Amino acid sequence: MTTAVPPGRRRPLRPARVVLHLFLGTVAVGWLFPILWAVLTSFRSYEYTAVNGYVSLGGWTVDNYVTAWRTAEFGKHFLNSVYITVPAVLLTLLLASCVAFVIARFSWKLNIALLGLFTAANLLPQQSLLIPLFRMFTEIPLPAWMSDSELLYDSYWGLILVNVAFQCGFCVFVLSNYMKALPHELYEAAMVDGASVWRQYWQVTMPLCRPALAALATLEVTWIYNEFFWATVLMRTGDKFPVTSSLNNLRGEFFTDNNLVSAGSVLVAVPTLVVFFLLQKQFVRGLTLGASKG
Amino acid sequence: MSRPRTQAEYLARLVPPSVAGLNRRSLLAGAAGTGALLGTGLLAGCGDSDSGSGSDAKRVSLGSNQSDPKPKDVLAKVTAGFTTSAGTSVDINTVDHNTFQENINNYLQGKPDDVFTWFAGYRMRFFAAKGLAGDLSDVWGKLDGYSDAFKKASTGDDGKQYFVPASYYPWAVFYRKSVWQQRGYQVPTTLDQFTALGAQMKKDGLTPIAFADKDGWPAMGTFDILNLRINGYQFHIDLMAGKEAWTSDKVKKVFDTWAGLLPLHQPDALGRTWQEAAQSLQQKKSGMYLLGLFVGQQFSGADLEDLDFFTFPEVDSTIGAKALDAPIDGYMMARKPKSKDAATKLLTYLGSKEAADITVKNDPSTLVANTGADTAGYTALQKKAAELVGSATEIAQFLDRDTRPDFASTVIIPALQQFIKDPKDIGGLLTSIENQKKSIFTS
Repeated sequence: MTTAVPPGRRRPLRPARVVLHLFLGTVAVGWLFPILWAVLTSFRSYEYTAVNGYVSLGGWTVDNYVTAWRTAEFGKHFLNSVYITVPAVLLTLLLASCVAFVIARFSWKLNIALLGLFTAANLLPQQSLLIPLFRMFTEIPLPAWMSDSELLYDSYWGLILVNVAFQCGFCVFVLSNYMKALPHELYEAAMVDGASVWRQYWQVTMPLCRPALAALATLEVTWIYNEFFWATVLMRTGDKFPVTSSLNNLRGEFFTDNNLVSAGSVLVAVPTLVVFFLLQKQFVRGLTLGASKG
Repeated sequence: MSRPRTQAEYLARLVPPSVAGLNRRSLLAGAAGTGALLGTGLLAGCGDSDSGSGSDAKRVSLGSNQSDPKPKDVLAKVTAGFTTSAGTSVDINTVDHNTFQENINNYLQGKPDDVFTWFAGYRMRFFAAKGLAGDLSDVWGKLDGYSDAFKKASTGDDGKQYFVPASYYPWAVFYRKSVWQQRGYQVPTTLDQFTALGAQMKKDGLTPIAFADKDGWPAMGTFDILNLRINGYQFHIDLMAGKEAWTSDKVKKVFDTWAGLLPLHQPDALGRTWQEAAQSLQQKKSGMYLLGLFVGQQFSGADLEDLDFFTFPEVDSTIGAKALDAPIDGYMMARKPKSKDAATKLLTYLGSKEAADITVKNDPSTLVANTGADTAGYTALQKKAAELVGSATEIAQFLDRDTRPDFASTVIIPALQQFIKDPKDIGGLLTSIENQKKSIFTS
C-alpha cells in the first residue's frame, strides 16, 4: 500500500513542521487543561477526592451540579444576568453605532478627537473610577418604581449604565473602522434619492454593518455577562447579584468545597459557550469581512 | 442658500449648528453648566432623603453574611421567631461571607440595611469610631445573660456599646482521644511538656502538629496564641492597634519560640488548606492541630465524638494560660436605620435568650454568646468549649479582627508566610513589618 499516497502530493516532513505542531499541541493542551480539569473535578464527590487526592480517578457523581444550582440559587441569578446583559448589549450597540456613524461619515473639527476620546476611555483601568462612581451612584436618586433602593446604587439601571459606558469605547472603535470601509457610492446614491441622515444611518449603514454588529454582540454578551467587579461593588442586595457574583455563594465561611465550585463555574460558563457557538459564523465573518475589498 | 457641490459640503450642512459651532471653550462652558445643573439636582435630591424615616415600622431589613446553608437556615428561624413575637417582618439580605466582608466599607457608606451581621473587636470599633454604626447602649440596658468579657468586646472606643454578640468559637489545640489513649500521651500544661510531647510523637511516626497556611489566615492563630502566652493580652491588643513596635524584643521572642516549634509542624504548610491539615488529624497521621472549633466540620459521626482539645500550654508562669482567641460574631445597627424603633427591637430579640435557644436547637456547630440560653443540647465538645471561654480572663478576637483589615491582609499574611518559608531572618522580617505598619496606621 505504499502507492496510496501519490508521489509529490505530500510534502516531506520537515523538522520545522514537527516543532510547529509540537508547539501548537502544547499550547492547545495548556489552554484546555484547566477547563477539562475543572469539568473532571466537578463530577467527583468531595469525600472521594479528600481521601484520594485530586490526582486519582473515581467518586463519580452529578450531585455537585444539583447542589450548586440549589445552594447558589443560580436560577434567580441567571435571570438577573439577563436583566443586565440584554439591555446593556443592545444599548451599547445602538449608541456606539450612532457615534461611529458620525465619526465615519462626517468630517468636522472634533472627529479625530472624539474617536480618540472613546478609544482612550477604553484604556483606562476601570477600578480607578470605583470611588467617584460609587459616590455618584449613592447620590443619584431613582424613583421607587425603577429600583427599590431608590438610588442608582444597588439598581440594575446603574449596572447597565456602567457596562454601557465602559463598553462603548471599544464598539465605537470597531464600528467606525468598519463603516469607513463601506463604499462611498452607496451614500452618494442615497443622497441623490433624498435620504435623510437618519435614513442613511438606519436603512443604509446598519444593515451593512450586520456582520460587525453580530461579532460585537457576541463579544459584548460574553464580556458583560462575565463582568464581576461592578456587580459586586455597586450592588448591596445579595438577591440582585448576577450569576458571576453569586458564584461566591458556593464558598463557605471556613470551608470551600472545590468540587462544588468547579460545578458552579462550569454552569456559569455554559451560556457564554452557547452564545459563542451560536454566533460563531457571524463572528468569523465579522473579523474577515473588512479584510477583502470587493 | 447655495447647493452643495461636493459630498463633504453636503454632509457638513447636515451637522446641526449647535454641534458644528462647537469649539473647546463652549464645550467647557457646557460641561460646567451641566455640572451645575447636576449639582443642584443632587442637592435637591439629598434634602428629602430623611423624610421616609419611621414611616414603615412593620418592616426591618437585616444584612447577613451567613451564606452557609446551616447558619442561613438558623437565622431565618430566629427572625421568624421575632416576627411572631413582635409582628414586624424581617427582610434578610444575604450576601456571601467573603464578599460581604470585602465590601463592608462600601456597604456601610452606601445604604446599609437597618441591622447587619459583623464581628466584635477592632473591626467593630473601627466603624463605630467612623460614625458608621448606631449606638446600642439602650439595647444593652435590656439585655442580660452576657459576661463582662462579652460586654467589653461589644464596646467602642467612646465607651458606648455598638454590638450585640450572638455566637463565638474558641481556638485551641485539637487531638483525637483514641490516638492519645493508645499511645499514653498526657495533655501538656507547659511549653516544655508540649515540646517533649511533640518529640515523642515524632518518634512514634506521627506528625506532631498539623499545619496549613495556604489561605494566609490560619498561621495568625499560631502567632496570636504565642503572643498571648509570651507577652500577655494587653501587649497583644496594643500591638494589634499599632501602638507597640514590631521590632521590639518581645515580638522577636514570639517568633524565636515559633521558630523552635516549627520543626514539629507539618512541613510545606503554604501549599495546604486547613481542611487538608484537619484531615491528617482525622486520618490519625497528625497528633495535634491548633485551630478554631470549626475544625469539627471535617469530622463526622464517631470521629467527631473522638475529637477533644486543650488550650495552648503556658509559656511564662507570670502570664499563665487563661487568655485565648475566641472570635465573636454578632449584629450591629446602621447609623441611620429606616426605623430605629424596629431595628432596636430586632437587636434586643437577637441578643435574647429565646433567639439563643433557637440557635442551639438548630445548629450544633456553634456556641451561643448568651449564657442564659438552654445549652442542654450541646455536645460534649461544645460544653467543654463554652467552659473554656467562660473561664478565660481575656478574649482576643483573632488577628485579622483585632487590627486594621488592610494591615492584616497586605502585611501580616505575606510576612507570616515568608516566616514559615524561611524562619531564619526574623530581624529583617520584623523591620519590614514595622515599616509597613507605620505607613498603614498613619494613613
